[in-house]
Amino acid sequence: MAASEAKGHGHHSGMWVFPDAAVMSEDLSVKTRSMPQAFTMALVVTGVLFIIGIVGFVARAADDGFDEIAPWGYYMAVFSMIFMISSAAPLVVVAFRFTKSHWRRPLSRVAELFSIVGILNLLMFIPLMFLLPDLANPGGVVEGQLEVRRTIWFEGPIGSPHAWDLLGVAFLTITSLAILWLSAVPDMAESRGSTTGFRGWVYNRLAGHWYGTKRQWNSQKAGLALLGAFYFMTLIFVHFVISSDYAQSLIPGWKDSIFPVIYSVTSLQMALGAILVILFIMRRWGGYEGYIGKSAFWAASKVLLGVTLLWVYHLFAFFITFWYGRLEVEQNIIKYLISESYSIIFLLNLVFSFAAPFALLIWNPVRRSAWGPALAGLFVIFGGLMFSIRIFVGAANATEGSEIYTSILEHVPPPVYPDVWDVFMVLGGLGAAIFVYLASTKLLPLLSLWEVKEGALYQRWGRFMRGEYLILGKPE
Amino acid sequence: MQEGTALQSRQINRELLVSILNSPKWFWTALAILGFIVLAAMSAAGFMINQGMGVTGLNRPVMWGFFITNFVFWIGISHAGVMLSAILRLSKAEWRRPATRAAEILTVFSLMTAMMMPLVHTGRPWRLVYWIYTMPFIPYDYARGIWPNVRSPLVWDPSAVYTYLTSSILFVMVALIPDFAVLRDRTTGLSNRIYGMLAMGWQGNPRQWKLQIIAGVLLSALILPVFVSVHSIVSWDFGMAVSVKSWHSTIFAPYFVVGAVHSGVSAVAFVLIILRFAYGWQNYIRHEHIDALARLLIVVATGWFYFFVMEVIFGFYGREADEIAVRDFQFMISPWNIWMFIFVGLTYFLPVAIWLSRSWRRNLWIMSIACISVNVGMWLERFLIIVPGLARKQLLTFDWYTYRPSSVEWILIGGTFALVSMLMLLIAKVVPLIPLYDIKEGEILRTEIRIGRVTVPATFRED
Repeated sequence: MAASEAKGHGHHSGMWVFPDAAVMSEDLSVKTRSMPQAFTMALVVTGVLFIIGIVGFVARAADDGFDEIAPWGYYMAVFSMIFMISSAAPLVVVAFRFTKSHWRRPLSRVAELFSIVGILNLLMFIPLMFLLPDLANPGGVVEGQLEVRRTIWFEGPIGSPHAWDLLGVAFLTITSLAILWLSAVPDMAESRGSTTGFRGWVYNRLAGHWYGTKRQWNSQKAGLALLGAFYFMTLIFVHFVISSDYAQSLIPGWKDSIFPVIYSVTSLQMALGAILVILFIMRRWGGYEGYIGKSAFWAASKVLLGVTLLWVYHLFAFFITFWYGRLEVEQNIIKYLISESYSIIFLLNLVFSFAAPFALLIWNPVRRSAWGPALAGLFVIFGGLMFSIRIFVGAANATEGSEIYTSILEHVPPPVYPDVWDVFMVLGGLGAAIFVYLASTKLLPLLSLWEVKEGALYQRWGRFMRGEYLILGKPE
Repeated sequence: MQEGTALQSRQINRELLVSILNSPKWFWTALAILGFIVLAAMSAAGFMINQGMGVTGLNRPVMWGFFITNFVFWIGISHAGVMLSAILRLSKAEWRRPATRAAEILTVFSLMTAMMMPLVHTGRPWRLVYWIYTMPFIPYDYARGIWPNVRSPLVWDPSAVYTYLTSSILFVMVALIPDFAVLRDRTTGLSNRIYGMLAMGWQGNPRQWKLQIIAGVLLSALILPVFVSVHSIVSWDFGMAVSVKSWHSTIFAPYFVVGAVHSGVSAVAFVLIILRFAYGWQNYIRHEHIDALARLLIVVATGWFYFFVMEVIFGFYGREADEIAVRDFQFMISPWNIWMFIFVGLTYFLPVAIWLSRSWRRNLWIMSIACISVNVGMWLERFLIIVPGLARKQLLTFDWYTYRPSSVEWILIGGTFALVSMLMLLIAKVVPLIPLYDIKEGEILRTEIRIGRVTVPATFRED
């Protein structure tokens, strides 16, 4: 336990912590090195799940091959879920660095470490490339069919959609890793002298140049800002591409300009939820209570509440436009994704992505706690899984044969339930993501040392009138 | 994030009440010019009502033109109030303080102006009476069994806008109570009595402050759904219409809301710059505030641009002949394609290029150009959504047409800008356009902390 002081009175009790910068580095270094039993157990369990996932994948490939997309719906769903969280998590910290929110400091590294999970994403994406149906109708223009199916690539520039999709996902992963590296350089440099083994080798290779000169600090901050802006633009583009190519364009007649936005909002919501869950675990069982005050939960939960409302607003904007229009094609899509085929999954999606977190987070005492936002985080992660299943399993199984080259969904297809290999792949995918994340916490400290130390300089506890309150420094 | 010198309460009262207690020379000249334009617009409206809608450029199929464009534009401007007041209050952004009152009042006036436009557009505004009241002795509508279709977005629209107007007025009035009390104590005679009434017995005791703050926070939270719903519903006036291809888009609601915030916040920034020059409020509307607004606007503008791109891409996505005809009209046919190019440049590329530079963000002349540019662009955006969609609405090409606004429409549109400016000028004579108590609170909470050799501005925060 680090030497720190918890501040706050009344219902703000324990809201802010002021860690001692002098002992922080050593304490976090010990935490990064140590392997508690519970951690090892989690690593083993997720590792086993990882293997089960590989078994499921191999079995599915052996059974069905890569010619048809339909059997891979659940694989697409679990890929999408991991992709949504791991791609949006670095954006959370980019955004709050941009707004100079001090409360972000304890969660910066937690969010950035998802970049390493991005590598798993990239690997998981490779098989998906081969599953997309051709843009051009192989049967030529048959009556009622299109020559080229409807996609965001229109007539299809070179390599589209496969190469561009892969390029997008790869670029995103590389940019997020660059953000992680740039952010972690000062911390790695601080520990490089006292760290041995593989970690020491990595620290020396990646941060050997860093001496903390003013010029280096300025370059680091400018680099983080530029990479952040670049990451934001890339992320929005890649979300647009993935949500269009692997969902919307696979359902004939689904022309929905708000869907890429819903996809990005859901991603942000899930990423924030995952970060809150990890923060809670760190604080409750990881020995980080001296670094993570409740203020981080309080502030992040307000953002989560806002994003949750945005999610339902966008969903409603989609629904009412299709519902009011009364066009047959739009009615069929509503029936397929919302009211008939996947109605149960949709209800679960709605409850866990909106109703439950909203009902929880509107209460001040809940937002001021550590457990409340974390529970809401769990809800939105589950809701996001339901979203991914509804959309991606639905998209993969919307058509048969050449129906994908038609312009409307003429009938409402039945839902597709998972078989044993699907269950293996979903559990395995989730296990793999957690496994990679856990492993990455042994490489880099879970807290961004320099950011927490910098925050300690800008935040004081001071007297105002008859009480004591937080004084927040705003450098510009 | 704090610049400038510390201000005393007495100085704040004296300087911020200058617009009410004194009348600068330019005031009456400006009022006369604006009044003249408003009178001209009223005459144009009278002429149009007398002669019929034939004096406008409206035609079949382009039955919505300048008036509806202007309606959407002013509804958009009204989104500044809640964005700056409610959202920034809830997020405790310190720099919001001087901008809130002007934004709230601009909201109220722009909503009132917006509501006039559909009325003018009907050509026979008195027909509204038949809608609202059952008059069996008048042989129209209800008496003839004709009822408005309550399932139509055109009926949701006035409901949402009037709810927003009512809640905005309430929002402004609650925030004004402490300032009315200051005015009550500094005026005599009739003014004193009126301000006394409006101050509702405000003495500034702890209980009243507590209630006032709670009311402000609650109203901020409650007005947010109204704020979002208003422009969403305005967008659904278009989005629900399946017959106009380019309008039936699921993204319209958030696209319109973000666009509204973009134009509204830009308008407020421009109003603040004018107030600073007009009343010498350099101590209150500082470069840092305009800078912060510009940085907020970069985010809003980029969000807006994303929605715009999505809207256009998915317009082409379906590759349906009737929608392609509209897009072809927008992007390929002169002068509409030129307008399209100008609109995107003015709304996004020019202002964002300006806002990316810190020194330009702090140059008030350049900032004024950026803010005007956004609003000209956003007006054009609405125009380019409405007219091309209608011009290519019909399936058969011999039913396609275009639109050329008449001088009557130009005068009426100019009149609405003059009206809002005139109302802002008049209200500045009655209420302080920068909230006294909010500025004083900011002054009390501001402090400094020393880090090494540097002194950093800071604020006390309870949360």
